[in-house]
Amino acid sequence: MKPHPFVRAYLAGIFTPTLALPILLTVFIVARIVIQISTPIEQVLIFPMAVVPSLFGLWNMVWQASHMRTGAPIGLHGAVLPLFMAPIGALIATHLGVLQFSAHGLTWFQVCSIPYALVVPGFLFAMAAYYLVWKYIVGTLNQVLGIA
Amino acid sequence: MNEQEQDGMKKLLQQALPPIADDAEEQRDLWPAMLRCMDAKPAALPQSLSLWFDGALMAGIVGVVAVFPSSIPLLLYYL
Repeated sequence: MKPHPFVRAYLAGIFTPTLALPILLTVFIVARIVIQISTPIEQVLIFPMAVVPSLFGLWNMVWQASHMRTGAPIGLHGAVLPLFMAPIGALIATHLGVLQFSAHGLTWFQVCSIPYALVVPGFLFAMAAYYLVWKYIVGTLNQVLGIA
Repeated sequence: MNEQEQDGMKKLLQQALPPIADDAEEQRDLWPAMLRCMDAKPAALPQSLSLWFDGALMAGIVGVVAVFPSSIPLLLYYL
Protein backbone atom coordinates (compact mmCIF):
# COMPACT_ATOMS: atom_id res chain seq x y z
CA MET A 1 0.00 0.00 0.00
CA LYS A 2 1.32 3.43 -0.97
CA PRO A 3 1.63 6.07 1.79
CA HIS A 4 -1.13 8.63 2.35
CA PRO A 5 -3.87 6.74 0.52
CA PHE A 6 -6.56 9.23 1.52
CA VAL A 7 -4.63 12.21 0.18
CA ARG A 8 -4.19 10.29 -3.08
CA ALA A 9 -7.90 9.42 -3.10
CA TYR A 10 -8.85 13.07 -2.60
CA LEU A 11 -6.55 14.21 -5.40
CA ALA A 12 -7.85 11.52 -7.77
CA GLY A 13 -11.41 12.52 -6.88
CA ILE A 14 -11.07 16.24 -7.55
CA PHE A 15 -9.40 15.70 -10.93
CA THR A 16 -12.57 15.41 -13.04
CA PRO A 17 -14.49 18.42 -11.69
CA THR A 18 -11.36 20.52 -11.81
CA LEU A 19 -11.01 19.61 -15.48
CA ALA A 20 -14.71 20.22 -16.21
CA LEU A 21 -14.80 23.66 -14.56
CA PRO A 22 -12.93 25.58 -17.31
CA ILE A 23 -15.20 23.90 -19.90
CA LEU A 24 -18.27 25.03 -17.98
CA LEU A 25 -16.81 28.52 -17.67
CA THR A 26 -16.16 28.60 -21.42
CA VAL A 27 -19.72 27.49 -22.18
CA PHE A 28 -21.21 30.23 -20.00
CA ILE A 29 -18.85 32.94 -21.24
CA VAL A 30 -19.70 32.03 -24.84
CA ALA A 31 -23.39 31.99 -23.91
CA ARG A 32 -23.14 35.44 -22.34
CA ILE A 33 -20.82 37.24 -24.77
CA VAL A 34 -21.49 35.55 -28.11
CA ILE A 35 -25.12 34.44 -27.82
CA GLN A 36 -26.05 37.35 -25.51
CA ILE A 37 -27.76 35.19 -22.89
CA SER A 38 -27.91 36.93 -19.53
CA THR A 39 -26.71 33.99 -17.43
CA PRO A 40 -25.50 34.92 -13.92
CA ILE A 41 -22.06 33.33 -14.27
CA GLU A 42 -20.86 34.33 -10.81
CA GLN A 43 -23.76 32.59 -9.07
CA VAL A 44 -23.62 29.60 -11.40
CA LEU A 45 -19.95 28.96 -10.69
CA ILE A 46 -20.19 28.79 -6.91
CA PHE A 47 -21.45 25.20 -6.74
CA PRO A 48 -19.18 23.63 -9.41
CA MET A 49 -16.16 25.54 -8.15
CA ALA A 50 -16.52 25.31 -4.38
CA VAL A 51 -18.61 22.23 -3.68
CA VAL A 52 -18.37 19.66 -6.49
CA PRO A 53 -14.57 19.06 -6.37
CA SER A 54 -14.64 18.64 -2.60
CA LEU A 55 -17.55 16.23 -2.79
CA PHE A 56 -15.80 14.19 -5.47
CA GLY A 57 -12.62 14.07 -3.38
CA LEU A 58 -14.43 13.15 -0.19
CA TRP A 59 -16.53 10.53 -1.99
CA ASN A 60 -13.39 8.90 -3.34
CA MET A 61 -11.94 8.91 0.19
CA VAL A 62 -15.12 7.15 1.36
CA TRP A 63 -14.62 4.53 -1.35
CA GLN A 64 -10.99 4.15 -0.33
CA ALA A 65 -12.03 3.57 3.27
CA SER A 66 -14.90 1.20 2.53
CA HIS A 67 -14.26 -0.81 -0.61
CA MET A 68 -12.14 -3.45 1.12
CA ARG A 69 -15.08 -4.28 3.36
CA THR A 70 -17.97 -3.72 0.95
CA GLY A 71 -16.33 -4.84 -2.30
CA ALA A 72 -18.39 -2.21 -4.13
CA PRO A 73 -17.13 -1.42 -7.63
CA ILE A 74 -16.05 2.19 -8.00
CA GLY A 75 -18.52 2.80 -10.84
CA LEU A 76 -21.50 1.90 -8.67
CA HIS A 77 -20.04 3.89 -5.79
CA GLY A 78 -19.82 6.95 -8.03
CA ALA A 79 -23.32 6.42 -9.43
CA VAL A 80 -24.70 6.87 -5.91
CA LEU A 81 -23.13 10.33 -5.56
CA PRO A 82 -25.94 12.19 -7.44
CA LEU A 83 -28.30 11.10 -4.67
CA PHE A 84 -26.43 13.54 -2.43
CA MET A 85 -25.22 16.08 -4.96
CA ALA A 86 -28.50 16.72 -6.76
CA PRO A 87 -30.37 18.04 -3.70
CA ILE A 88 -27.37 20.06 -2.50
CA GLY A 89 -26.84 21.58 -5.95
CA ALA A 90 -30.54 22.33 -6.36
CA LEU A 91 -30.68 23.94 -2.90
CA ILE A 92 -27.70 26.18 -3.56
CA ALA A 93 -28.93 27.02 -7.06
CA THR A 94 -32.36 27.95 -5.74
CA HIS A 95 -30.93 30.28 -3.11
CA LEU A 96 -28.64 31.93 -5.67
CA GLY A 97 -31.40 32.41 -8.23
CA VAL A 98 -29.86 29.96 -10.70
CA LEU A 99 -32.78 27.52 -10.46
CA GLN A 100 -36.44 28.51 -10.52
CA PHE A 101 -39.44 26.30 -9.92
CA SER A 102 -42.58 27.01 -11.93
CA ALA A 103 -45.88 25.29 -12.56
CA HIS A 104 -44.52 23.53 -15.63
CA GLY A 105 -41.06 22.54 -14.51
CA LEU A 106 -37.59 23.68 -13.54
CA THR A 107 -35.71 26.51 -15.20
CA TRP A 108 -31.93 26.33 -14.90
CA PHE A 109 -29.67 29.30 -15.65
CA GLN A 110 -32.77 31.24 -16.81
CA VAL A 111 -32.59 29.42 -20.16
CA CYS A 112 -32.86 25.64 -19.71
CA SER A 113 -36.43 24.56 -18.97
CA ILE A 114 -36.98 20.98 -17.82
CA PRO A 115 -40.54 19.65 -17.37
CA TYR A 116 -41.18 17.85 -14.11
CA ALA A 117 -41.82 14.64 -16.08
CA LEU A 118 -38.18 14.64 -17.19
CA VAL A 119 -36.67 15.13 -13.74
CA VAL A 120 -36.49 11.42 -12.88
CA PRO A 121 -35.15 10.37 -16.34
CA GLY A 122 -32.68 13.23 -16.06
CA PHE A 123 -31.59 11.94 -12.68
CA LEU A 124 -31.04 8.45 -14.11
CA PHE A 125 -29.09 10.04 -16.96
CA ALA A 126 -26.88 11.78 -14.38
CA MET A 127 -26.34 8.50 -12.52
CA ALA A 128 -25.29 6.80 -15.77
CA ALA A 129 -22.87 9.62 -16.56
CA TYR A 130 -21.42 9.48 -13.06
CA TYR A 131 -21.07 5.69 -13.31
CA LEU A 132 -18.92 6.04 -16.43
CA VAL A 133 -16.90 8.98 -15.07
CA TRP A 134 -16.11 7.16 -11.86
CA LYS A 135 -15.38 3.83 -13.49
CA TYR A 136 -13.13 5.10 -16.25
CA ILE A 137 -11.63 8.37 -14.99
CA VAL A 138 -11.54 8.23 -11.20
CA GLY A 139 -10.93 4.47 -11.22
CA THR A 140 -8.04 4.83 -13.65
CA LEU A 141 -6.54 7.65 -11.60
CA ASN A 142 -6.83 5.53 -8.47
CA GLN A 143 -4.86 2.81 -10.25
CA VAL A 144 -2.25 5.32 -11.46
CA LEU A 145 -1.84 6.60 -7.91
CA GLY A 146 -1.56 3.05 -6.57
CA ILE A 147 -4.65 3.04 -4.36
CA ALA A 148 -7.03 0.82 -6.36
CA MET B 1 -44.14 -54.63 7.85
CA ASN B 2 -43.05 -57.99 9.27
CA GLU B 3 -39.49 -59.00 10.19
CA GLN B 4 -38.82 -60.68 6.89
CA GLU B 5 -39.77 -57.56 4.99
CA GLN B 6 -37.64 -55.47 7.33
CA ASP B 7 -34.63 -57.70 6.68
CA GLY B 8 -35.23 -57.44 2.94
CA MET B 9 -35.42 -53.68 3.16
CA LYS B 10 -32.22 -53.63 5.26
CA LYS B 11 -30.36 -55.68 2.65
CA LEU B 12 -31.61 -53.48 -0.17
CA LEU B 13 -30.47 -50.33 1.66
CA GLN B 14 -27.06 -51.84 2.38
CA GLN B 15 -26.66 -52.72 -1.28
CA ALA B 16 -27.71 -49.26 -2.44
CA LEU B 17 -25.44 -47.27 -0.10
CA PRO B 18 -21.66 -47.67 -0.43
CA PRO B 19 -19.90 -48.94 2.67
CA ILE B 20 -18.20 -46.29 4.79
CA ALA B 21 -14.64 -47.12 5.59
CA ASP B 22 -13.28 -46.68 9.07
CA ASP B 23 -10.53 -44.32 7.83
CA ALA B 24 -12.81 -42.29 5.58
CA GLU B 25 -12.07 -39.03 7.39
CA GLU B 26 -10.37 -36.38 5.19
CA GLN B 27 -6.68 -36.39 5.86
CA ARG B 28 -5.89 -32.81 4.83
CA ASP B 29 -7.06 -29.69 6.65
CA LEU B 30 -10.00 -28.16 4.80
CA TRP B 31 -10.20 -24.97 6.86
CA PRO B 32 -7.58 -22.94 4.89
CA ALA B 33 -9.43 -23.73 1.66
CA MET B 34 -12.66 -22.62 3.32
CA LEU B 35 -11.03 -19.34 4.37
CA ARG B 36 -9.79 -18.79 0.80
CA CYS B 37 -13.33 -19.29 -0.50
CA MET B 38 -14.71 -16.83 2.04
CA ASP B 39 -12.08 -14.22 1.16
CA ALA B 40 -12.49 -14.63 -2.59
CA LYS B 41 -14.22 -11.72 -4.32
CA PRO B 42 -17.61 -12.43 -5.91
CA ALA B 43 -17.40 -13.31 -9.56
CA ALA B 44 -17.40 -10.18 -11.69
CA LEU B 45 -19.27 -9.76 -14.92
CA PRO B 46 -17.40 -11.05 -17.96
CA GLN B 47 -15.17 -8.34 -19.38
CA SER B 48 -16.85 -8.31 -22.79
CA LEU B 49 -20.33 -8.02 -21.26
CA SER B 50 -19.16 -5.15 -19.07
CA LEU B 51 -17.69 -3.37 -22.10
CA TRP B 52 -20.92 -3.82 -24.05
CA PHE B 53 -22.94 -2.46 -21.14
CA ASP B 54 -20.68 0.56 -20.73
CA GLY B 55 -20.67 1.19 -24.48
CA ALA B 56 -24.47 1.07 -24.59
CA LEU B 57 -24.62 3.43 -21.63
CA MET B 58 -22.20 5.83 -23.33
CA ALA B 59 -24.23 5.69 -26.56
CA GLY B 60 -27.37 6.44 -24.57
CA ILE B 61 -25.77 9.45 -22.91
CA VAL B 62 -24.51 10.79 -26.24
CA GLY B 63 -27.99 10.27 -27.69
CA VAL B 64 -29.67 12.14 -24.83
CA VAL B 65 -27.18 15.01 -25.13
CA ALA B 66 -27.79 15.15 -28.90
CA VAL B 67 -31.58 15.23 -28.44
CA PHE B 68 -31.48 17.62 -25.46
CA PRO B 69 -28.44 19.92 -25.95
CA SER B 70 -29.64 22.05 -23.05
CA SER B 71 -28.58 19.21 -20.74
CA ILE B 72 -24.90 19.97 -21.46
CA PRO B 73 -24.54 22.98 -19.12
CA LEU B 74 -26.52 21.14 -16.46
CA LEU B 75 -24.24 18.12 -16.74
CA LEU B 76 -21.19 20.37 -16.52
CA TYR B 77 -22.73 22.16 -13.54
CA TYR B 78 -22.77 18.87 -11.64
CA LEU B 79 -19.29 17.82 -12.77
